[in-house]
Amino acid sequence: MISSKTLSAALARIASHTEAASEELCSADGALGDGDLGITVSKGFAEAAATDLPEDIGMALLAIAKAFQRVSSSSYGTLLATGFMAAAKMEKGKTKIDPAGIPGLVAAARDAMMARGKGHLGDKTVLDSLDAVANALDHAPLEEMINVAIAAAAETAEQYRGKPNKLGRARMFGERSIGLLDPGQLAFLRIVEALRA
Amino acid sequence: MKKILNNPADYVDEMLEGMVAAHPGTYAQPVRRVIARAAGAKKGKVGIVTGGGSGHLPIFTGYVGTGLLDACAIGDVFASPSAEQMAEAIRLADGGAGVLRLYGNYGGDVMNFDMAGEMAEMEHDIRTTTVLLTDDVVSAPKEEAEKRRGVAGMVYAFKIAGAAAERGDDLDEVTRIAQITADACRSIGMALTPCTIPQAGKPTFEIGETEMEMGMGIHGEPGIWRDAIKPADEIAEEMLERLMADQPLAKGDRISILVNSLGATPAEELYILYRHARKKLDALGVEIVMPLVGRYATSMEMTGATITVIKLDEELESLLKAPAECAFWRV
Repeated sequence: MISSKTLSAALARIASHTEAASEELCSADGALGDGDLGITVSKGFAEAAATDLPEDIGMALLAIAKAFQRVSSSSYGTLLATGFMAAAKMEKGKTKIDPAGIPGLVAAARDAMMARGKGHLGDKTVLDSLDAVANALDHAPLEEMINVAIAAAAETAEQYRGKPNKLGRARMFGERSIGLLDPGQLAFLRIVEALRA
Repeated sequence: MKKILNNPADYVDEMLEGMVAAHPGTYAQPVRRVIARAAGAKKGKVGIVTGGGSGHLPIFTGYVGTGLLDACAIGDVFASPSAEQMAEAIRLADGGAGVLRLYGNYGGDVMNFDMAGEMAEMEHDIRTTTVLLTDDVVSAPKEEAEKRRGVAGMVYAFKIAGAAAERGDDLDEVTRIAQITADACRSIGMALTPCTIPQAGKPTFEIGETEMEMGMGIHGEPGIWRDAIKPADEIAEEMLERLMADQPLAKGDRISILVNSLGATPAEELYILYRHARKKLDALGVEIVMPLVGRYATSMEMTGATITVIKLDEELESLLKAPAECAFWRV
């Protein structure tokens, strides 16, 4: 079971892992966008990790969404905040997240982020990573969940490397984006990796 | 850049501080960059909030007042406020009867306001609804009217929805009336010179000394044509024609019209535009109710004007004429 405390500890791990990956993410983003994704992501998780989370796990997830909004108004930050918000709504009033519900939470985050970002699966964005993770987790045994999620996120990033970006600023690069890792998918991989204690 | 300021980074905060200090009976700033009515939310009344970038006074914050808005979240010049500020505005506007989010259709604002609505609902159990202004006819074709940007039509929406809320209508009714108002507004702009965002320090666009641009957006978004400046009557004629091509007007129709300065254009020139518009509408047999001529929705020191036409029915007309008061406008 995941409590607000577990969540805080995970946020701290993600904050330090994405901080370490910040340069890598900024340079991946610099090839297709404005080159600040590493900062957006690491700052967002640092702020979330520094936030005192309430015991109600729904309200804790809301506090994380707000932390993201506070420090990063970029579209990636807003999308991650949207994902946390979708999960927050489903968990409001509980003090623990049942791991069996995680695939459903990831899927809800994916759907809310698709609606808000007006994105589609196959556009080569973080949405593809979330979709792959949600589907992979659906059949995963509880103790294998983190490894399964990491593998799905890594496969997605590699699989889309050979495809063009179809959304946002990266779309302008068209065919030239083929061969490049999508920075948003790469960032998601680094986030999920950090969950492995 | 030639501007009266201290530090560009303090531009918005010092402006808000001054505005509240000048009109303490009207405005309060309970949370940074959120302006609310000085008297606070009215119990039992539907709240109306808006939000957007600074640089457009009296839009957005200026219209907080009796018979108008309850609260407003304000961002940097031409930049969206954060979702958290918007959520605070919603909280401050709530009198227990729900809150309408009424604002212009800009990508960043929509994302943040949707998020803010979810936050307010989760944290404070406030029911919210949304109505977007999409009155700039140049910003997308009629078939994609939902993609249009919101401009000076907001003034009518704030006024009419504000009056409905003030007389005690419930949230669904205020929302319905706001939507009818938004649907009845059409606007078009034209520009002569750009403005400068303090933190950017450069003009938002470049334009020749003798040129004008028809249809230009309030942030310098591209318009329909750019050419040598024309006489005022021809400018007014074309603007009205373009509005009427989108929303036809016929004998007996009742409308209100707003001839608005983008900031630097003086009232004198607005009246020259209005003169021709009036003649043209008179000739068509269209009745003008409560014409508005002045600085209602600006873009800093941009030179240029916008014209907004709203087609009225009896209900909208009576709400438009209902009393309202803020520091910039009194009905």
